[in-house]
Amino acid sequence: MKMLFKLAFRNVFRYKRRTIITFSAISYGLGLMAVGICLYNGVDTHAMDNIIDYQTSHLKILASGYFEEKDEVPLEFTVDEPQEIKSLLKDNQDIRGIESRVLFQASIISGMDELPCLGVAIEPEVNPLVFKIKDSIIDGRFLEPSESKIILGSGLARDLGLKVGDDCTLRIFFSIEDFIWNALDLEIAGIAKTENPMVNRTTVFIPLSLAQEALSLENRVTELAIRIEDRNKLLKVRNSIEARLATLDKDYEVVSFEEYASDFKELMRLRSRMQALIPLMMILIATLGIVNTMLMAVMERTREIGMLAAMGMRKKEVMLVFIFEGALIGIFGSIAACIIGGLGGWWLEAKGFSLAFLGEKITDIVSFMPMVVYKGDLTAGTLLFTLILGTVISILASFYPAYKAVKLDPIQALRHVG
Amino acid sequence: MSIAKLENIHKVYHIGKIEFPALRGISFSIEEGEFLSIAGPSGSGKTTVLNLLGCLDKPSQGKIFLEEKDITALPTAKLADVRRKNIGFIFQTFNLIPVLTAMENVEFPLILKGQHDPKERHRVTEEILTEVGLKDFLHRRPNEMSGGQQQRVAVARALVKKPKLVLADEPTANLDSVTGEEILQLMLELNQKTSTTFVFSTHDRMVMDFARRLIRLRDGKIESDQKVKTK
Repeated sequence: MKMLFKLAFRNVFRYKRRTIITFSAISYGLGLMAVGICLYNGVDTHAMDNIIDYQTSHLKILASGYFEEKDEVPLEFTVDEPQEIKSLLKDNQDIRGIESRVLFQASIISGMDELPCLGVAIEPEVNPLVFKIKDSIIDGRFLEPSESKIILGSGLARDLGLKVGDDCTLRIFFSIEDFIWNALDLEIAGIAKTENPMVNRTTVFIPLSLAQEALSLENRVTELAIRIEDRNKLLKVRNSIEARLATLDKDYEVVSFEEYASDFKELMRLRSRMQALIPLMMILIATLGIVNTMLMAVMERTREIGMLAAMGMRKKEVMLVFIFEGALIGIFGSIAACIIGGLGGWWLEAKGFSLAFLGEKITDIVSFMPMVVYKGDLTAGTLLFTLILGTVISILASFYPAYKAVKLDPIQALRHVG
Repeated sequence: MSIAKLENIHKVYHIGKIEFPALRGISFSIEEGEFLSIAGPSGSGKTTVLNLLGCLDKPSQGKIFLEEKDITALPTAKLADVRRKNIGFIFQTFNLIPVLTAMENVEFPLILKGQHDPKERHRVTEEILTEVGLKDFLHRRPNEMSGGQQQRVAVARALVKKPKLVLADEPTANLDSVTGEEILQLMLELNQKTSTTFVFSTHDRMVMDFARRLIRLRDGKIESDQKVKTK
């Protein structure tokens, strides 16, 4: 076996130019695939982070029945004792912050223009613990508790031509069907440009007390948004919250960001199927490279194969020489691919891939995606996948040429003039 | 003892629908230690005889015995085993493995035969390469050696596993006459020293002159089979 391997190893370097071409095809192909996977993973991670940081937080406590109707943003399912629940959970060390919020349907009016939007009533003093909206203020300032001011998403502000200090009217709907609404004249305190384009285009933030008064909710809220310290402990924290809530009279449900983002996850799942086409194409390139190189090797070494057979080398052994040879090219190529993928992935993690040159409007098209810079997410799993894929393809692709080699008639092979 | 015996061998090649009879009922036996040349013009069937003796091919009719054992009906894998253990080949074009050194080329049949002790393998290999006059070329690759030196490596490779039979297909055809004679002399010496049986095909007068027995073939039949006086 050692001799067969030695023979294969030396044969790899026998036709240097051809080996280099195949090696390059595998290393660049698989390397770019690894970079592509890093980018996709990064976009997914970043997009999910955006949903958590600006929309859902890690967990939400909702009145029973709310989640099913969440797309309607209903006001009839409310958490009636938010302070009591906060007190119940305050000793939980895994929770970083809990914010009482009210989500409502609204529209914003500026002069003759009116745009529908999502109203989000927040607790300005708690919000920064749970969300990253405060860090996204690009103009003006964040909200103060109990003031009659709002923060507008940058897209909304742009579309209505509003800026900090301008006055506008917020039409708050109790019921869209029955067209029951209340209107508030408010000044714009700040403009938020988050990394989540959906929020920028659709959301208005107002202080909680103001919304509760306008919607006659008293102390009730539609949700409690919870940020936990470590996302890996999500299940544990959720279970512990559910256990605490069970002691209350009213039924509540605890919903994670994963459930909230189920549509997005489905989208990711569908896209990952499309994404599978990339490795498939790389598999094709690598397979063709290896098959071509090894078939050429078989053709050029026909007489040598005849001689090996004459010496009594078994078919299995002849096959192994060619399979080892193909596998070695594949392994070397895959290692180089891991280096290319690793460097590319590292660069994507550190710097990211900017779409700024396409202009800001691009974020209107890719609504869930990060703003302008696509960052990579390099994992050991991606590199391991690249290495294993390259090796396995090369071994499999070597089978056919190896089979061709052992099918040669030794007599004809010995007569072959190469 | 008879090393090999051919009994009424016929061999017909089929190319498309056309039949080419290469051998038409030849019989002869080879005794241990013989230095035998099979001669004849192109197409006379000498290479076919060598292929049959070398277990590379099967006859269309007739029987082949190797050390009294009928090998005619052995399956391909078993024939490979016979070759591995009992037969050494020397080719016209040397056919060394270009990526291996002289040492490694000669060592190769020993590995195939199952000689697992590397020290012993190296000792035997070095010994035979010294015997064929290549002590200083052990670590050279084929492309770093002359044709004559390469054929010496091929001779060493054929003999290293101590086969019953060495088959040489026109071993001097690619060498100049001086080198060719040196190679023949070397093979003759090894034949006398080790009693290894040599069978070679040729149409070269010089090779025939070296043989101790000469079988002439013509149109797939034995034309003559005679002992030759020592040169």
